[in-house]
Amino acid sequence: MEKNEFLLLLDELLELEPGTVKGSESLDSFAGWNSLGIISFMALVDEHFSVSLQPKQIAGCATIDDLVELLGDQISEDSAGTASGSVDGR
Amino acid sequence: MMNPLDLTGKTILVTGASSGIGRETARLISQLGAHVVLVGRNEERLAETLRSLDGEGHSAEPFDLSTTDEIPRWLKRISASSGPLHGLVHSAGMHKLRPLRVLNSQTAEDIMRINVVAAISLAKGFLQKGVCASSGSVVFLSSVAGLTGQAGVAAYAASKGAIVALTKALAVELAGEHIRVNCVAPGVVTTEMGEGLLGMLTPEQFAALEAMHLLGFGCARDVSYAIAFLLAETARWITGTVLVVDGGYMAH
Repeated sequence: MEKNEFLLLLDELLELEPGTVKGSESLDSFAGWNSLGIISFMALVDEHFSVSLQPKQIAGCATIDDLVELLGDQISEDSAGTASGSVDGR
Repeated sequence: MMNPLDLTGKTILVTGASSGIGRETARLISQLGAHVVLVGRNEERLAETLRSLDGEGHSAEPFDLSTTDEIPRWLKRISASSGPLHGLVHSAGMHKLRPLRVLNSQTAEDIMRINVVAAISLAKGFLQKGVCASSGSVVFLSSVAGLTGQAGVAAYAASKGAIVALTKALAVELAGEHIRVNCVAPGVVTTEMGEGLLGMLTPEQFAALEAMHLLGFGCARDVSYAIAFLLAETARWITGTVLVVDGGYMAH
């Protein structure tokens, strides 16, 4: 999946206007980044990438870009051509 | 010595027998003398369960319960070789932690299909002539999530609440056929499925959830005892009930 697409999913998760999340923001700056928001993020990652993240991995993240980094090769830079994850994860 | 839980000579089908509560129930009822028909998707894991059973006359029947329309015909074939069934335990189930914001209808439908629609089809199949013995006991798996609110599990909770309603409706409909229908409602049990969910919690969330279970988290054996009770003569005057097995979770 391209990074831009992933950021749009985070916008939706955090109840923000599409295009709000850029990457460098601190996670703590989002009201939606609470315990249910974190569980929602794990569910989203499971759904789209079939990856099971542990809470402690997420606890080690300070910014949106840190979350992107957690997913490694699953997220490609924008306009890189081929996305590694399918849009609907199925 | 008399054992009121004795299941000698009874043939009982258990879905979800390749892991967790289903596997443990199969083991326990084999120890109580039952012939067990094991159902699950994974052939290898079913064979593992089969090897761990006591006694003889058991069989493994790999089957994908999401093909719900096939279930009655398939049950007819199974009972032709196993002989009439005295009991049915639907322990196969799907649980996904999905807060509403990330819950999509496909996931909700998948959960309902395995947890509820398959239960309906199994009961329908069980009712067929020659499939069920002269009397029978059906046990479904509900959950405390179907009885009280928990965040992040709306689809699962809806499916488990539906099981309670299904249990009562079928108890009334099938009493005249000498089929009892009950369900158990477990709290958090440390099966593979339970541990997958617990793994998504922070240490604080984990501790809070555990504290709600006054006797700590349960194990599959704790739930299988309740299922055996509902299958055996011990529950001959019990139908349409929800047996809560939750270490005190619902006592709050």
